[in-house]
Amino acid sequence: MAAETGPPVSGPPVSGPPDPAPPARITCVGLAKTYPGGVQALRPIDVTFAEGQTTALVGPSGCGKSTLLRLVAGLEQPSAGEVRIAGLPPAGQARQGALAVAFQDPSLLPWLSVRGNVALARKLARQPADPVLVEDLIGLVGLDGFADTRPAALSGGMRQRAAIARALATRPRILLLDEPFGAVDELTRQQLARDLPPLWQPRGTTTLLVTHSVPEAVMLSDRVLVLSPRPARIMADIAVPLQRPRGAALPESAAFRAIAAQVTAALALSDAENTPLAAQ
Amino acid sequence: MTHPAPLLRAAPPRIAALAPPLAGMAALLAGWALLAVALADSRLIAGPGQVAGWIAGHPGLVARSLAVTLGNAAAGFLAGNLAALLLAGLALVWPRLSGLVTGLALVVFCLPLIATGPILRVLLGPGAGPQIVLAALAVYYTTLIPLLTGLRATPSGWLDLVHSYGRGRWSELVHVRARAALPYLFAGLQIAAPAAFLGAMVGEFTGAERGMGVLTIRFLRAMDVPALWAIALLAAAVSMAVYAGIGLIGRLTLRDRPPVILAPPRAAVAGGWREAAQAGLVVLAVLALWWGAMELAGLNAFFAKRPRDVAEALFWAPDAAQMRAALLAALAETAVFLLPGYLAGLALGAGLAMALVLAPGLAAVVMPVAVALRSIPIVTTAPLVVLFLGRGAAGTITLVAVMVFFPTLVACLHGLRQAPGQVLDVFRTYAAGSLRQLVHVRIPAMLPALFAAARMAVPAAILAVTVVEWLTTGRGLGSLMALSASVSDYDMLWAAVVVVTAISALCYAAAALVERRILAIYAPEQARR
Repeated sequence: MAAETGPPVSGPPVSGPPDPAPPARITCVGLAKTYPGGVQALRPIDVTFAEGQTTALVGPSGCGKSTLLRLVAGLEQPSAGEVRIAGLPPAGQARQGALAVAFQDPSLLPWLSVRGNVALARKLARQPADPVLVEDLIGLVGLDGFADTRPAALSGGMRQRAAIARALATRPRILLLDEPFGAVDELTRQQLARDLPPLWQPRGTTTLLVTHSVPEAVMLSDRVLVLSPRPARIMADIAVPLQRPRGAALPESAAFRAIAAQVTAALALSDAENTPLAAQ
Repeated sequence: MTHPAPLLRAAPPRIAALAPPLAGMAALLAGWALLAVALADSRLIAGPGQVAGWIAGHPGLVARSLAVTLGNAAAGFLAGNLAALLLAGLALVWPRLSGLVTGLALVVFCLPLIATGPILRVLLGPGAGPQIVLAALAVYYTTLIPLLTGLRATPSGWLDLVHSYGRGRWSELVHVRARAALPYLFAGLQIAAPAAFLGAMVGEFTGAERGMGVLTIRFLRAMDVPALWAIALLAAAVSMAVYAGIGLIGRLTLRDRPPVILAPPRAAVAGGWREAAQAGLVVLAVLALWWGAMELAGLNAFFAKRPRDVAEALFWAPDAAQMRAALLAALAETAVFLLPGYLAGLALGAGLAMALVLAPGLAAVVMPVAVALRSIPIVTTAPLVVLFLGRGAAGTITLVAVMVFFPTLVACLHGLRQAPGQVLDVFRTYAAGSLRQLVHVRIPAMLPALFAAARMAVPAAILAVTVVEWLTTGRGLGSLMALSASVSDYDMLWAAVVVVTAISALCYAAAALVERRILAIYAPEQARR
């Protein structure tokens, strides 16, 4: 797959009326998850995700970071503890249209055009149709001229852009991204990681990002949580005090590399728990 | 996919998983018993007790007939599957032939079995030959198509691996394709086993000496209600048993579930004229095979008509106009029953599938029953339906509808689960409930399965309607065929077979055309394959 050639997206945030709801804080108290089969995915954790912050969750494969994300999204029910988003459980926020998700699989409906897919989100969230916003978003994610195209005719990176546009169409207070750039090539990945965050960060959207990529985690987030192998607990909590907007040159900077090294070291420590060597 | 939710992988406790299907079966039995009691005076329905009593009272007759029919079915099953294996191999070795092989398979699939029976009888003489051939014809398509799908479903990377060690097609077949096709082969065989039983029984309907089909005809004439019920239910039970048995062997061999095959794979979309040429080639091949077989066997042209004879009877003979008129009149009569039944079966199947998605608890009960009932050759229950609803329109339409209903239901339930990616999770984060999921995701995602079912149901519906007409109603194509067979009007019989096969294949092709457009929109990844 070729790298994306869409125009860089770094202009002003989405136009339109101010957001109706202020940024929301996510609080997890004693949150734990054990699946019916007996697999313990998450041991009780307490963590708070501050208003408007972007937090990256990294950790070994299968460590339970997606479970944490799905618990916050209300897609799984906790075995113990609770999630509160601005004081409400996830289901309550979902009913108010405050949540949005994007997965590694873009999960677009193949029979709808890009425009149809993006507009559908507002319909589902019981928000009034807003064709201007929909067109704006399609342009901002760099899909100008593809609004009437069906997903099958798009490249993988373009589908991810469409999925992000759909996630933003409801102006969510909480944005949950599960390896949203995981299935695209490296060049596109870097471009998406640079282009897309300016669409939601200035609006104070509280964002959780699950990723395998250390540079991506540092590039996108204000804070990186490194999780242990399953059942997950928080091994390291690393702040990312880098200025925004973050340009293409940032990964070359010493500050960026220092933080990335810190995350990598914590990951290596976490991964060591997985191997037999750790027992000695 | 990064998060296979462990929830889905955890094996459910076995007892709990068995409860809903058992409950479904129990409900079916209870309903039957209640109905039998309620309608005891009508002398139309035999209850479970009566049926068991009749079987217990005639153990020898039942065992002998069952053994004969099962034997014929098994012989046909073997022959038909061997033919399918050989032809699939042929299509693999010479990919250019695969269009011809699948085209011929479709023609066989569209043959009106009921009228093919008497022709085979005069061609092959007395004995079990016709039943065995019909059973073979009935399984040929159901095995060949999944097999071809499976042989082609091999990821090309695996084949490249074989080639990278300098090995050729043979290694490719042995090490990769054969193994990759196994699940598909089992899925095909599973459907083929009841089909073989159906083929053998239809063969017996058309004048054999022994077997379940012969008993059916005899008891239908005598209006022996408990006996009719017993035979029909035995046929159903045997079909379900062989279906389940092959499924079990498949699961033990493969350690996983056989794939659900709704419909044959579509060949790569060729240009319009290439497809027309392909179809023309198939027609030519059919005519050549037909003519060649008759000539090679040196069969008498009085009953072994050649393509030329049929064309002459239909177009040039002095009474050709009369013959065409008779055929058209019968066709019209049949269509009046066929179309409403076909459409009702599709609508009910799709409708119930949707209702079941909204009530998942009910689906756990209904689905296993539907899968089990789908394996029953509905045509063998034709005498019961006619008994109930009479020889008129209601009985025939109902039978066609039932014939179409079960495969449609199973296909649609499968299709309703085909939501793209994690889109249902996306819906849940917008608090969109099951009704909105149904409307926005599941129904559109179901359309390919519905149209595949509609296509596959065309020959099935035609088989159902002609069998009922043959057995009972005294009108339509089936009746015309029965009449022609009894007065040895072989011109008419052959002409009817040719016309019905052609119409069936054309309707199938038309349904496939609609389906392809649907697929292009609703399941682009399937259309491109």
